[in-house]
Amino acid sequence: MPAFENFNVKTTIDCKQGAVRAVRYNVDGTYCLSCGSDKKIKLWNPVSGLLLKTYGGHADEVTDAAGSCDSSYIVSASLDKSIIYWDVSTGAPVRRLRSHAGGVRCVCFNEDSSIAISGGRDNAVMCWDIRTRRLDPVQVMKEARDCITTVATNENRIYAASLDGCVRTYDIRVGELTCDKVGEPITYLAQTSDEQCLVAGCQDSVVRLLDCETGGLLFEYRGHRGDDYHIECGILSNDAHIVTGSSDGDAFVYDLLEGKILQRIRISDNGGVVHSLATHPKRQEMLFARRRDMYVFSTDLQIEEEQL
Amino acid sequence: MDEEEHLHRFGTPLPALEKDVVPAKKPVAIEDQIVKDENGKRRFHGAFTGGFSAGFWNTVGSLEGWTPQTFKSSRADRATSRAQLKPEDFMDQEDLGEFGIAPQGIRTRDEFAKEDEQEQRSGQRRRKLMQPELGVGPIPGLPVLEQLLRPVRDKVAVRILKSMGWKPGQGVGPRQTRKEKRQATARNSKEQYLLEHYGAEGLPSHKETNEEDSNTEDEDDEDITFAPDDYEPIFHTPKENRFGMSYSGLNRDPILSKSSSSSAKPMQHINLFGEMEARANKKQLSIRGQAFGVGAFEEEDEDIYARDDMTRYDFSLADKKPKQKKLQHVQQRHVIDGFSEDKSAAVLQKPYTIDLPRDFQPRNWLQRRSRFAPMDKERAKKLETASEYKRSGLGRHDLNPDQRAQLLGEQKKEEKTAEEQPKRNPFKDRGKSLLERINARNEGFTKGGVITESGEEQPTEIAKEVKDANAAIQEKAALKTKDLPPAINSTGAFKPFLADEAKQLRYEKFVSSKLTDDKEVTEFLASMQPVSLSLWDREMEKKEFIQAAKIYRPLDGLMNDRFVSEANVEAEKVKEQEKPPEERKIVMERIKTMWKPTALLCKRYNIAEPFGGAMLEPENELKTKPKISVFDYLETSVNTKANFQTPSIIPKHIEKPKPKEVEPPPSPSPPPAPPPEVKIQDKATSKEEPSKLTFVPKTALEQAVDESRNKPISEKVDLFKSIFEDSDEEETVEEPPEKQAQEKLAALQEALGLPVTSTTSAGAQNVLRNTSPPRGIFASLFKPKKTDAAKEPAPPKFAPIEGNKLKIAYKSREERLRNDKELAMTEVAPEDIYGPKLPTALPQKPAAPEIQAEANIDARLKQLWQQHAPKKRKAEKWVERKSILSSEDSEASSSDESSSSDSSGGKGKRSKLSKPKKSHKSSSSKKSKKSKLNSKKKSKKSEKSKHKAKKKKSKH
Repeated sequence: MPAFENFNVKTTIDCKQGAVRAVRYNVDGTYCLSCGSDKKIKLWNPVSGLLLKTYGGHADEVTDAAGSCDSSYIVSASLDKSIIYWDVSTGAPVRRLRSHAGGVRCVCFNEDSSIAISGGRDNAVMCWDIRTRRLDPVQVMKEARDCITTVATNENRIYAASLDGCVRTYDIRVGELTCDKVGEPITYLAQTSDEQCLVAGCQDSVVRLLDCETGGLLFEYRGHRGDDYHIECGILSNDAHIVTGSSDGDAFVYDLLEGKILQRIRISDNGGVVHSLATHPKRQEMLFARRRDMYVFSTDLQIEEEQL
Repeated sequence: MDEEEHLHRFGTPLPALEKDVVPAKKPVAIEDQIVKDENGKRRFHGAFTGGFSAGFWNTVGSLEGWTPQTFKSSRADRATSRAQLKPEDFMDQEDLGEFGIAPQGIRTRDEFAKEDEQEQRSGQRRRKLMQPELGVGPIPGLPVLEQLLRPVRDKVAVRILKSMGWKPGQGVGPRQTRKEKRQATARNSKEQYLLEHYGAEGLPSHKETNEEDSNTEDEDDEDITFAPDDYEPIFHTPKENRFGMSYSGLNRDPILSKSSSSSAKPMQHINLFGEMEARANKKQLSIRGQAFGVGAFEEEDEDIYARDDMTRYDFSLADKKPKQKKLQHVQQRHVIDGFSEDKSAAVLQKPYTIDLPRDFQPRNWLQRRSRFAPMDKERAKKLETASEYKRSGLGRHDLNPDQRAQLLGEQKKEEKTAEEQPKRNPFKDRGKSLLERINARNEGFTKGGVITESGEEQPTEIAKEVKDANAAIQEKAALKTKDLPPAINSTGAFKPFLADEAKQLRYEKFVSSKLTDDKEVTEFLASMQPVSLSLWDREMEKKEFIQAAKIYRPLDGLMNDRFVSEANVEAEKVKEQEKPPEERKIVMERIKTMWKPTALLCKRYNIAEPFGGAMLEPENELKTKPKISVFDYLETSVNTKANFQTPSIIPKHIEKPKPKEVEPPPSPSPPPAPPPEVKIQDKATSKEEPSKLTFVPKTALEQAVDESRNKPISEKVDLFKSIFEDSDEEETVEEPPEKQAQEKLAALQEALGLPVTSTTSAGAQNVLRNTSPPRGIFASLFKPKKTDAAKEPAPPKFAPIEGNKLKIAYKSREERLRNDKELAMTEVAPEDIYGPKLPTALPQKPAAPEIQAEANIDARLKQLWQQHAPKKRKAEKWVERKSILSSEDSEASSSDESSSSDSSGGKGKRSKLSKPKKSHKSSSSKKSKKSKLNSKKKSKKSEKSKHKAKKKKSKH
């Protein structure tokens, strides 16, 4: 277990796209995406804070975005009930997929980015074959009883967290749906890198660590405030620290094993909900979204020098 | 023609209409109306067409432009017209025209010009009084003649005034300085105003001219004097009649008559016609008489119907003229020479004046000028007395500050005199909204007080009165409606059984008892219901009551399961919020279900499909939520799943005889299975009569049936087994004859070359007949006991017969037995038989032994078939055996001898009972059939049953 180092703010980016709804890293963490309430997605260099591209074409607020494994495409979800598959370099929408009956809340790619999985307010999880020109979903999973807040996938499973308090695991290999009922509305779901556990941010201001195999509750992390916000949580790349946003403008870093607060990151003194965050896939680095701004936090100071 | 020359024309004639030209309908628009001068030039142009044309074609000068005057030497003609230039020499032609600055035209001289023209020219305003009144004469407008003929010279008075230095437009009097004149004008205008509005009385007795304020004016122009302003006195015509003010009735004087009132008018100096007429009258020239009619200008006959009277004649010879002269002389004594006294002048009566008090203010008391005007004292007083009760009550808000002060013992202000009535503002309360008033006195509602318009609660006496009155009215109403059935009882519940009072009473009791348990309800009702009521009726009533109680429960109860009051919700919310965030133990639940990923998804994930894609396709959930309708709601509230109870009507008096029915030992056929029968009955009854009868199981079987009622069908197998095993045993007892028959039949078939297959069995026949798989209870029935079912003519047995449903259920056993007997005795009409039409031609054929044998086989097969075919017949018929057997035998034998196919229809009914015998017989007669069968097959009717045809085919 590596020793914990405090996170320090590295970059603050005013996204200038209204409220930032979500911040995401690309596959290797060299770029980041911000989804704005002005219906646009912006591609940034998180280190320098340079705006690389703006993707506009949604008809409503963008709620989530994900980059493909080769970082050549972006898929984004919006409240306009559509999913757009973007070409990163040209900035043109390659495909617009409409089948959700409600606003789309979350989207993700599978490992080889051939399938996009989206979940929406219509309680449906949809799998889209993004490689072909098929405009209707490959599969629709309508088991959830409430809005889907997060979809996640790995080699053989699809996870869908819903506000009905269940994490549904669709095991493609086994052909089995496992419904793990937590009982509290789940606002966000993150996978550990060893794919053994799930980190579920719940509505009752608790982040819960779930065991994938048994479906047991491993730990509860308390300390932050969720209120009625959809606060996101994450796990750092070393699988040792859990991070979550808070409605009082802070971010909390918990120790995975002990559950104690390692750091309470004061993001802003002016309040504002830290609702979205993203963890760097490799480094000890995080992105936070608060109001109109995006913050990059990191432990090591060397990167800066490296970049320079 | 001559006359034309003497006529004079005035004005310009309209242009003569040309015949061909249709006059333009559209008038020329204003913007198109262009004024042109004589040269055809546009007169007005530019500056919004207000500018004048100038110069040559709106340019300066002439055609050549403006050229300066060339020098012209005047040396040659020095003395001649040098200063002879007139202004006209420097004028344009246009200036001298009609619209120019110096128009050169013929016009009347000032003396003869009309007043307005004169005024225009002189710039002087004529006296208003001097202007003739319009519309006084018979012809409206200005008098034409007067306009045409004008006096050439001024009136004498005017001439005198003029000679004295007066000019028209000036006033008369000594000349004034500027200051004086200003003062005079101010005074005059003031007086004028007063006079106009208030008459002579309004004028102040002595004028206080404020000379001081104008002293500051410059006094240096004292020497310049001005003529005084023309003062226009107002003439008041005395009122001679008693008409209303300013009323003038129709002029009763004849038109243009001498006595025309116009002559009385001061300004009408000329009355040409009057004079003429008068002269004509004197000369007696006017044509009189009714025969000629009365012209517009003629005086009407005075009185054509008047009797000639002697008074009209003058008998005196005396000359009257000198007398008149004398009189004139006498009268002229008081007048100046040359003048005569005005005889027409009416004596001016002094108007009575009333001395009014100084502070009198004229006012219409009936009419309130404004809502905010103070009330007059009388009315205020009246109102005061009317609202006396208010003060006697709690009229706290009606007290004015003084009264309040008085009550509080404060120092009273001196100005406020005690005698002054405390004027209450009646609008004070009116300002309050009704709601406020109600809020202020909302206890009035609970008290039953009366809130008046003024927002006051009436004293209790009034309330009491009202209450009494109300009570009286209610009593009256109650008396009136006593006979009528009350729609709503005291509890406000609906009365669904008004038609039957006793029932209603029972219902009310039932409702008030609030029983929920079915048994209790039954008992409770049984205690009330009359003995005469049948069991079924009782059941019905109970059901009705329960239903009615559900439907007609009070609205709040009805709505309770749908709505929750907001207060409750809020309270719950608050409660929830107040609850400390309890550390709810999260209990993880894991549910695993099958889920089939689509092939493409697996492919994209690079995973083999689970189970090689052999997973069951998840059934498409097409659960469309039905729309909520009122009917659904009503239905569900009454017939919810929870409320639903499988109806089970197994009347005891039917159940009892059952074992007996089953028991008859010689019966070769299986006994009727009671549980299915019950089931069928259930179905029927549940559809038609929703009455519930309690079933008290008696036998073990019944108990089993009762227990298994709620079990799924798959679990009922045991039950059915137990039931059918029972019958199996019986069957085993009767097996020998059955087996014998079967063996015999098989033997026969062998002999005939027919394949000995199970097709002979009734079950197989059935299967052939009805290809659809057995459903419902039959599915489970047939599975465990195939052979049994094959033997059993199950379907016809269970087939519900519409007409007999109730009979089955409720007939007593004796009745049923009797009925069955009757039915057995009587031949069932062939129409009742279901199936293909039977050949009618066959019996006509000679009954050859081969044919007979053939027919026998046919009959046998038919029997077999009919045994299993659903038939329209009484279900109980075949139950009775012993009683029919004797007759059966005879019939069967006779049918054998005679036409087989003919009676087969009738026989078919009882075929089961006579089965062993039949088979026996057929086997005996089959020996001779063998040879002929082949030859006969062509002649066989095609409409024979399906089985038969099949058999034939198989034979080939």
